Amino acid sequence: MSRHKQEIKDTRIHLCLDCGKCTVVCPVARYNPDFNPRLIVQRNMEHNSRNYHDEAIWSCLNCYMCLERCNYRVQFPEFIRILRTEGMAGGSRARCSHGGALQSTMHLMTSEKVKQQRLNWLPPDVKLSEKQDTLFFVGCAPYFDIMFKDLGVNTLEGVISALRLLNRAQMPFSLLDDELCCGRDLLLQGDREGFMSLARANAHKFHQLGVKKIITSCPECFYALKVDYPKMLGKTVAEVVYWTEAVAPLIESGDLRLGALAKKVTYQDPCTLGRGLRIFESPRRILKAISGMELEEMQPNRETALCCGASSWVHCGAANRQIQDERLTQAEATGAEILVTSCLKCRIHLKCTQQSRNGKKPKIDIQDLATLAAGSLDQEAD
Amino acid sequence: MRHNNVVVFTCNWDGLSCIEAAAQNRLGYSASVKLVKVSCLSRVHSGLILKAFELGADGVMLLGCRPESCLYEKDENLSSKEYEKALSLMELLGLGTSRLRLSRLPRGDGDAFIKEVEDFIGAVSRASYCNIKS
Repeated sequence: MSRHKQEIKDTRIHLCLDCGKCTVVCPVARYNPDFNPRLIVQRNMEHNSRNYHDEAIWSCLNCYMCLERCNYRVQFPEFIRILRTEGMAGGSRARCSHGGALQSTMHLMTSEKVKQQRLNWLPPDVKLSEKQDTLFFVGCAPYFDIMFKDLGVNTLEGVISALRLLNRAQMPFSLLDDELCCGRDLLLQGDREGFMSLARANAHKFHQLGVKKIITSCPECFYALKVDYPKMLGKTVAEVVYWTEAVAPLIESGDLRLGALAKKVTYQDPCTLGRGLRIFESPRRILKAISGMELEEMQPNRETALCCGASSWVHCGAANRQIQDERLTQAEATGAEILVTSCLKCRIHLKCTQQSRNGKKPKIDIQDLATLAAGSLDQEAD
Repeated sequence: MRHNNVVVFTCNWDGLSCIEAAAQNRLGYSASVKLVKVSCLSRVHSGLILKAFELGADGVMLLGCRPESCLYEKDENLSSKEYEKALSLMELLGLGTSRLRLSRLPRGDGDAFIKEVEDFIGAVSRASYCNIKS
């Protein structure tokens, strides 16, 4: 059986009943009538032949909403990924956002002659462990920091804050000076080859250094290392932990004490972290541990939370903007001062929309969870 | 000896006029220079610059009008912003900053173009390694 045939079988797409529940809950389908998960399955499974020029497949956000609702747990996002991979092999191309700059950086990283200057941003107060067995995987935050500086999104600040929290919690970690992008964005947009070369190189480095545990602060890196790497490479690279899962128990046991920050906040569940990997509570536990902080939930939240509206740096259009606008409206309706999220991409996307909402002034500040938590350290309540 | 591939993105106005003047005066320059004509340099965003490197360029030169001579309003602002962004990304990637140059030349100055492009090819060949694409 060919690789794609087996992969398609693994998505359980043959169990699709054509019931349309996926389409009812899909945020893209609500704003873009051409995007209909049920019909995409129908179109591409009929006579078992694929339509390589099906434009609709590029609009999927990979938000797992359909998967959450499907009675048979049909892996529709994975099915879309396979369609994109096949589409790319058939000559179809994704429309890359930001002029394809991010895709090019990912590809350029794999060149052996390029030696990245990755750690120039590291502040002197962050202490690194000499042992390499526990690694903090930074991801593409240094690149996003340059790309999206004009939006006022400082993505490195979130990473530095997470490192400071880990330092304070006495959790040792080291950083890699030649770490590559995890490759998940390439995988999601159908560039399987690009993903594989990044994944192989990263896995090789982890193996060489004897890395046993990897901590990440980016939900996408977390998903890639924990789920995609074992699946695509055929072996687990290391134990992969999301930073909130590591820090929240330490706060509860009293080993780490957060300070005070009297603000009313609301929390955006990143799709990959929430519906994708079922981490809903530990970020909230961290927020609740900051004294004076009031957490007001958006409607909807957790399993039914709305996506930030864009994914894997492809196809950002009117429907995406409408989804983002809807999410910002939901956030503003809570009356919170700050919209907190632990995903740097959610922050980039929502902040981008906030700057172009028909002249509407931003009513809510968008901040990173780690930045808020680290900012509260040593702050006493008034 | 391997030639360094240099891509020159030139604007349709003063930038291109310099290249045409060089041709009319029969001034030669390296055959490894590939020209890409755009209406205005503000079309060349960081994505295009990085794509050139991804496809095997060793250096990218942006050739445009002087700010006061731009026929469009936004050139200086947009192209400088994207140029700075591309430079920072290249530094982080380890490509180094000497592989990208922004040159603004006076209209029809063929000599200046030849001097600039040859100087740039020299700078690219002095950069630490030759071929980015392995």
